[in-house]
Amino acid sequence: MKVLQDIPVPKTFTIKNTDKVILEKWFYMMTLGRMIDEKAPNYLKQAIGWSYHAPYAGHDGIQLAIGQIFNRETDHLFPYYRDMLTNISAGLTGEEIILNGISKAADVTSGGRHMSNHIGKPEWNIHNVSSATGNHTLHAVGVARAIKYYKGKGVAISSQGESSVSEGYVYEAINGASTEELPVIFVFQDNGYGISVPKKDQTANRKVANNFSGFKNLRIIHCNGKDVFDSINAMTEAKKWSLENQQPCIVQANCIRIHAHSNSDRHDLYRNDAELGYVQESDPLLKFKRMLLRYERFTDEEILAIEAKAKEELKVAHRNALASPDPDPASIYDFVIPEPYPASKYPEGLHNFSGEKKKLIEGLNETLKAEFRLNPDTFIWGQDIANKDKGGIFNVSKGLQKEFGTARVFNGPIAEDFITGTANGMSRYSKKIRIVVEGAEFADYFWPAMEQYVEMTHEYWRTNGKFSPNVTIRLASGGYIGGGLYHSQSTEGALATFPGIRVVYPSFADDAAGLLRTSLRSEGPTLFLEPKALYNSPAAATPIPDDFEVPFGKARIRREGTDLSIITYGNTTHLSLKVAERLSGEGFNLEVIDIRSLIPLDKETIINSVKKTGRVLVVHEDKVFGGFGGELAGMIGEEAFEFLDAPVRRVGSAFTPVGFNRILEAAILINEEKIYAAALALLKY
Amino acid sequence: MKKIGLFYSFGSKKTAKIAGIVYNSFSGDDVQLINVDEVKKEKFLEFDNLIVGVPTWFDGELPNYWDELLPALEEIDFSNKRVAIFGLGDQKGYTENFCDAIGIMATFLEERGALIVGKTAVEGYTFEGSKAVRDGQFVGLPLDQENQARLTNGRIEYWVGNLKKEFI
Repeated sequence: MKVLQDIPVPKTFTIKNTDKVILEKWFYMMTLGRMIDEKAPNYLKQAIGWSYHAPYAGHDGIQLAIGQIFNRETDHLFPYYRDMLTNISAGLTGEEIILNGISKAADVTSGGRHMSNHIGKPEWNIHNVSSATGNHTLHAVGVARAIKYYKGKGVAISSQGESSVSEGYVYEAINGASTEELPVIFVFQDNGYGISVPKKDQTANRKVANNFSGFKNLRIIHCNGKDVFDSINAMTEAKKWSLENQQPCIVQANCIRIHAHSNSDRHDLYRNDAELGYVQESDPLLKFKRMLLRYERFTDEEILAIEAKAKEELKVAHRNALASPDPDPASIYDFVIPEPYPASKYPEGLHNFSGEKKKLIEGLNETLKAEFRLNPDTFIWGQDIANKDKGGIFNVSKGLQKEFGTARVFNGPIAEDFITGTANGMSRYSKKIRIVVEGAEFADYFWPAMEQYVEMTHEYWRTNGKFSPNVTIRLASGGYIGGGLYHSQSTEGALATFPGIRVVYPSFADDAAGLLRTSLRSEGPTLFLEPKALYNSPAAATPIPDDFEVPFGKARIRREGTDLSIITYGNTTHLSLKVAERLSGEGFNLEVIDIRSLIPLDKETIINSVKKTGRVLVVHEDKVFGGFGGELAGMIGEEAFEFLDAPVRRVGSAFTPVGFNRILEAAILINEEKIYAAALALLKY
Repeated sequence: MKKIGLFYSFGSKKTAKIAGIVYNSFSGDDVQLINVDEVKKEKFLEFDNLIVGVPTWFDGELPNYWDELLPALEEIDFSNKRVAIFGLGDQKGYTENFCDAIGIMATFLEERGALIVGKTAVEGYTFEGSKAVRDGQFVGLPLDQENQARLTNGRIEYWVGNLKKEFI
């Protein structure tokens, strides 16, 4: 049996055989990079910027190597916050680095929006990565999945420090890459520290890559990240291997951290003089320079000339960057979320179709199928969604895998963060791609994916409009099924607090179909909450036109009235309609507005209703305290106060978890009686 | 016994100290001390018996002064030469890569025809992994000044005793 870890790394590049032109290019980049790395703290001292700088000195060999093997036509690179030289080696200029450091509008990474020293160039597929260290491993795996599917000629490369491998999502990423056999290289730049924490406190193996030695289909290469040739040979072999075998590879590079973790760290407080001395002696740039001279590849004069040229570039870069404009405060609302698909066939999201009624679950299933037929670049995955005749726990995806195949419809592992993060990653491969994920089997299980959810909401804004993940996250939401604490949660109160994602919550089959269609055709992420208690409910069943579209941010007046406005969504739309019917028998005329879309919110329809009725009851399934109803009530109180004849009231569940015993559930969740009582009290106020 | 070249870094501290002990153990024999910080490759041709001091740096690396010298030695023919390797390491702190550099150096030299002498038993050490172990033996003499300093003198004395039999 082939032992991957025993395969030797060819010494393709050596001090003697490497072409002088290449050596010069390498030395120039390393020299320029180091000059900028050393200059960066001065910008902070002069209050110009660069308030976060993570010096890379000591990582020079591996960072040069990563950038050198990266091909912007075919590969995707995910550098981390210390990867300055990686970026220079991949082609960024000194000026682009400084623009990033001092957060200018022309910063190619993010236009000054992201923290300094997080460098990239999205249009070259050098991605803008998070400060949540190491979570781009999931994005790298996702884009590698796309590379494999589309038979791309490249690899994904993810780079991080060794200590950040402790994060659980890194294990999820590597497990996924191993299972799916994807062309992705994970580089661990091991400098022995996670800020002040020595690596022995992170994991028992000194070389963390060895933690993964039991994973199948995964090659692990160790190299000296301080040595240019060892590093280049390791990365060259890793890329060749990953491409030829379409399998993942880890490259662990031993580096040193010559300076502190960042400008806000005092490493003299935890490193002694002896250590600081020997890391200086092991400086990779000095080592490379010694080798160039010792083996007479360059003369002293030639070295000086290269250094002078780098200094000149730095001078010009510094001058140009300082003169470059700062971001405009008026631009803060640019690129929060992309323009959606213009649902122009049904601009109000209303129809007059009177065919056979379909259940909510059929509406979802048939819309998915229709959109998958229309757009061949659609994908769906989640836990338990694709097994023979089963289509998920609720059968929403039934029949999809049979029709569209296992490459487009597949099961994810029990790893919500992986499911969500790889959707973000895969989306980067092409703007045509649309991904649907079941973020978790139940909304209650989505929480492990929260960090990727947050990432997704940030991407468009953080990249200054250069990238937005085109992903629909579906979650089976809410209670009334006797599901207890982990099958009954309403999560929109928490999830609707992040700018950068649409949040929709249909109550009826036609709206579910229409919103799903719009979501799948739009750029940008959408959180699609499905009231699972209504999947098969006749009450939610409606006729659905084949091409129905519901625009985001359009509420639907489910029942017109004059005496009181109920603002609601999801399960409680149906309860509210029943209450309205009951109260109409008592002489009251209620208006019921199904908002359908929480973000963006149709304020106009809501305010117009308030103007008409003067009384508002906000009704939702979630807890009153902290629920989305607070946002609705607050908005109405601020913007429509003068039209109110009574305080805005809210009806929602008790501020407790949802109990499993049906008696407890009934006491906690709202019902017709609770809405009726609140409405009546408000009508009589 | 032909003259012996004892190659080590004069600029090192611990390795230089050990080299001194090794040197003194050869009292009466012709042993020349050679500074690898400055050595020219031709010097290696002058000896049929060589001792090289190769500590392990970081997680299993050659020290700079050896690593940067090796390209110059690539074309040297080491056949008919006997080479003994000693090196410092820390079997507790770096247990997965204990004295790897001894193994790396042994491989380099063997690829160029050298006969490695002065192999030692693994008994008496506790570690998880080492590139210096082949067929159940170390291909040199590991010395652990961090954890077993009091065993060093005895280990050197025994080793030198064997080298006197193995060298030409």
